[in-house]
Amino acid sequence: MKLLKKYCMGIESTAHTFGIGIVDFEGKVHSLINDIFIPEEGGLHPALVREQHLHHFKDVIKKALVEANLSINDIDLIAFSQSPGLGPILKIGALVARMLSQSLKIPLVGVNHCIAHIEIGRLMCEIEDPLTLYVSGGNTIVSAFESNRYQIFGETLDLAVGNMLDSFARDAGINHPGGPKIEKFALKSNNYLQLPYIVKGMDLSFSGLYTAAKRLLESKDYNNKYNLNDVSFSLQETAFSMLVEVTERALAHTEKEEVLLTGGVAANKRLQQMVQSISLEHNARFKAVPLKYAGDNGAMIAWTGILRYTSEGGHDLPETIIKPKERMDNIAIPWRSDGSK
Amino acid sequence: MKSEIIKEKLIYKGAEASLFYGHWFGREVIFKYRIPKNYRVEELDKKIRIERTLNEGKALIKVKNYGLNVPQVYEIDAQNSILIMKFIEGEKLKNILENLSENQKSNYFKKIGRAIAILHQNGHIHGDITTSNLIITNDEDIFLIDFGLHEYSDTIEDKSVDLHLFKRVLISSHGKNFEICFNSFLNGYRSEYEQVNKPECNQIIKNIHAIESRGRYIKPGERK
Repeated sequence: MKLLKKYCMGIESTAHTFGIGIVDFEGKVHSLINDIFIPEEGGLHPALVREQHLHHFKDVIKKALVEANLSINDIDLIAFSQSPGLGPILKIGALVARMLSQSLKIPLVGVNHCIAHIEIGRLMCEIEDPLTLYVSGGNTIVSAFESNRYQIFGETLDLAVGNMLDSFARDAGINHPGGPKIEKFALKSNNYLQLPYIVKGMDLSFSGLYTAAKRLLESKDYNNKYNLNDVSFSLQETAFSMLVEVTERALAHTEKEEVLLTGGVAANKRLQQMVQSISLEHNARFKAVPLKYAGDNGAMIAWTGILRYTSEGGHDLPETIIKPKERMDNIAIPWRSDGSK
Repeated sequence: MKSEIIKEKLIYKGAEASLFYGHWFGREVIFKYRIPKNYRVEELDKKIRIERTLNEGKALIKVKNYGLNVPQVYEIDAQNSILIMKFIEGEKLKNILENLSENQKSNYFKKIGRAIAILHQNGHIHGDITTSNLIITNDEDIFLIDFGLHEYSDTIEDKSVDLHLFKRVLISSHGKNFEICFNSFLNGYRSEYEQVNKPECNQIIKNIHAIESRGRYIKPGERK
């Protein structure tokens, strides 16, 4: 009998991305296809996103199989994003996952989206035990592994930093996604305008910062004494300094030797530079997850699904109920119970 | 001219500030110097350091007025983000707790409870009550130090969080002595706070449980 590779199909469906990733049990990614909802105006309307995911999921799965050069019958495990995220959208992923698992008669495993971001980072950047700054449109979390959990050391009390940047971009008349464009504008300025800097202990608050930046756009001085480049620069500098301060404190406290930057906002070069600077100061190795794997994707779900499945098996159908609000520090991490892997 | 302000040696280096021992016009002092961070733009960096130095200095001065044992502030050099305050000679409670008698523990923690109650009644949140931030002097006085995370707040939630964090520290660093220390602490806190506002005091203490039931603060062993 010849030895067959085992494959896991991961389904990401928590927000704007419907992603399929096919990863083998050794950690090699065979395909990664994302279908991203881009609003014509405004932000993410869950009902509209859900509609798009529902119409596109079959094609995304087909594309992923073609890219991996596999048939659906080669898949041995289905993993899906079970938590946290927007309820109506999580439901689509769960629905597709249950359907595939039932019809193919293969095991099914639910995965926490935030843990998946950390696990794919550990896999891709070849690091063991990092302090992680996870920044995206939906989450802003400083976390490290301790006592068998990904413990949360600091987090946002209101808006996620990516959400804040996107909302500001919309107010400034910039199309979605706004983050990368704000980064470009910011490069053209070094005129720092005063904005509120809010760190409460180890937690962050971005809502006041957002409002203040928005007021700068509405002021009569806008395009007069200062312009969009200056506001973008000041907004980025303030928000990122807040993130980095909390990250540094957590790094000093946990004494980790590696720092991982992940999530969609990890693509920002200025943020990378700042996190690198504190990592150096604390003699820690710094890695930013490559953009392809830093944003939401199916490969991270597949890989985390493999980790969970090989350490404690799959989930029964009743256990696959979606958990839109689940915190990642609620979940035990059996595959790292020895502190490594 | 010979300077009267002399920084002599670095005694502690934290993520945000360095502490130096030295002399200020003949007095033994601590220089708390908030270090510039080169990852952030200079204007922002300077603003943060000035604001925090001022806040901490002002908070210490206010709190001293309630008769609490905190370091006397001699000088706030906000522009250079340096706070100069009295050097408190003594031992960190953390280092001597294990050697205290039951009686001493109960007395010290009652006193600490009363001091925190006075802070809270007046709308101050210390933000980092730990046994490292409590100094026992040779005269057996207790000093509360490090107001770097101090905030003004009169909400039940903030006060409960302040108590809860202290409870966590006691459990994690002094598990064996937790019961007697925390119970004495709460007794002291109650005896002081109840004189002013009994219902609020009860709410604050009750709310500690509510905070603990939120996932973030549950210890792994206590979780299902």
